[in-house]
Amino acid sequence: MTAVAVDDAGWQRLNSRVAWVDLAKMVVTFIPSVVAAVVFDQGLQAWPVFIVTGLGVVSSVLDLKRWMHTRYRVGADRMEIRKGWLVRRYRSVPRDRIRTVDTSAKLRHRLAGLRVVHISSGEARTSFKLDALESRAAERLRADLLGVGRAAETAETPEAEETVLARLRASWFVYNIVSVWAFLVSGLLLLSAYLTMQTFGVDLREVIERAVDWRSLGLGWTIVVATAGCFVLGTFGMALNYLREKANFRLVRTRTEGGTALLTRQGMFRIREVYRDDRRLRGVAISEPLLSRWLRLAETEVVSTGLSWTPGSDAAAAILPRTSVAEARRVAALVLGDEHRPLDAPLRRHPRSALRRRLVWACYVPGVPAALLAWLGATGAVPGWVWAVPAGLVPVACLLAVVAYHSLGHAVAGPYLVMRSGLIRRTTVVLQSRGVIGWGVRQSLLQRRLGLATLRVQTAAGNRHYEVPDIAAGEAAAFAHAATPVILAPILAEGAAEAVTDPQPDGQEAQIAHDPAHG
Amino acid sequence: MSDTLPALKPPSHRVERRAILLWTLYALIWGISVVGALVALYVFLPATRPWIHPFLWILPPIYLLYLTRVPYWRYRVHRWEITDEAVYALSGWIVREWRIVPISRIQSIDVKKGPLQSRLRLATLKISTAAASEGGISIIGLDADVAERCSDRLTDLTQMVPGDAT
Repeated sequence: MTAVAVDDAGWQRLNSRVAWVDLAKMVVTFIPSVVAAVVFDQGLQAWPVFIVTGLGVVSSVLDLKRWMHTRYRVGADRMEIRKGWLVRRYRSVPRDRIRTVDTSAKLRHRLAGLRVVHISSGEARTSFKLDALESRAAERLRADLLGVGRAAETAETPEAEETVLARLRASWFVYNIVSVWAFLVSGLLLLSAYLTMQTFGVDLREVIERAVDWRSLGLGWTIVVATAGCFVLGTFGMALNYLREKANFRLVRTRTEGGTALLTRQGMFRIREVYRDDRRLRGVAISEPLLSRWLRLAETEVVSTGLSWTPGSDAAAAILPRTSVAEARRVAALVLGDEHRPLDAPLRRHPRSALRRRLVWACYVPGVPAALLAWLGATGAVPGWVWAVPAGLVPVACLLAVVAYHSLGHAVAGPYLVMRSGLIRRTTVVLQSRGVIGWGVRQSLLQRRLGLATLRVQTAAGNRHYEVPDIAAGEAAAFAHAATPVILAPILAEGAAEAVTDPQPDGQEAQIAHDPAHG
Repeated sequence: MSDTLPALKPPSHRVERRAILLWTLYALIWGISVVGALVALYVFLPATRPWIHPFLWILPPIYLLYLTRVPYWRYRVHRWEITDEAVYALSGWIVREWRIVPISRIQSIDVKKGPLQSRLRLATLKISTAAASEGGISIIGLDADVAERCSDRLTDLTQMVPGDAT
């Protein structure tokens, strides 16, 4: 602790209400034990509940110690924090490295008017977590660090400075809760209910066995009822979770000192706010999972530099819950916010040989194991019919190859690159060409025979690179040139420049309409 | 078979001819360690002999072909160039890869010399950007002095570009 001895002025404490919240939490953790011991008269049999209470008390005390020993300071050029009781820590981060300042609040924080502030720089992890500040102090700190919402502080209505891009819609509810994950959720819910009830002397298994006369139902109906029951329960669990997380969802563009930022506000009890600086925005990505593509559902993310995984369940890049493709496109266009509308640009289709390459792989990947197993079957090492299993997968793989081929497409629309590909998740990425920090072109032997190449766009944002698989070899350079002409011009072959300067698709049949009706 | 994609010029410089020797030495070191491991297994674990036998027939011809052909093949493919705007390189043998990094987006420049490389007065020039770690360019088989000069020139050029290059 030498670093702190320099100057003791300006150090601030976390809000004192944290201590009261901790005391209240401690009292609350006693309730289950008291209920189990007094009301249900379980005595020592209810030991899991006592352990829960014990852990609750310990965590409250530790939290109280944490509050007592945490100090932070926002200086002119750096932000510092001192914390720790057994292990003392000091940390300092230059202020201009700070990229995001998010706030969140659990129910207990909201009741006490507190907010947890998460401050991140370019590092992968959160640099500072202040748990917790009074909500107005949190607001001031954010304004101080990012220059966000200073106007909102003085104005009576913060809405005035914000443009709403999307609000929660009732129809999204259905899109987000119907999913195969329902079975996993119901499994977890049943397991936790079973364990909880057991401590109160109730055997959940018996209750369910007695509720329905399973024997008269027969095996088939039992399976149907159990599956349906699990699905309904799981969906119910997902619905509750969705409401808890996404209630009051709103995506707005808000004014900051140095420009604008995208802000999501969501949550029923625990309100989560995520700021994404527009200066770091490099594009958007819309992904459509294979299983829900026929329902025309999509997930929307921003492609931005310096967005790490912030606390909470979602990546900070996700700006919308699962919505219809049309809504995703509408919001994406608003987020990009200019007249180019890259998502409506007609995508250039990839050559037929890209389909051939996919079909070749679709035949070889299951075909080679089938041949191997057939040979082993002939020698008697494995049963004679086993080879039919991978062989039967060939038509499925071929079908998937066709699906994968049809998701391929690319275009240059004004200052944007548009790239679409993917089988399991068909992803359309729109990237500003100023976000391109490198190009790579790969060509395997088979690709060279077929006249194809895989183009890779390097960027500092989002996934760090995006691919245009199996573009016609001649078009790879044209695509790169159309996006970054200054860089490509010196290395283009003689005479190629004319062919390359026209990025327009050359024939009607080479286009795919990229509107919601066909996209 | 041409080394170019249509519409893209091949980078103007080849790597040093000594790089063939470097790649051959790398292949030899590899070969010696694999053969050593197999022989050790063959001698000390008699139970593995039936498994190793087929490899002893298959591997040597493949390896000889690799040792004698691939370094030349690489030399024929590998090329590099530094234009006013970008670092441009082509590498690979079966799978070919063209890489272009704008000079304005360079984050760091490394000149790497292993023990074998310094004996041969060769060096690897490594250019990295803010993209994923594999997103930069490595030019293997440059003359050590050339690599130093390129690194100096690129350092000067990149320092003139303001901003965080993302």
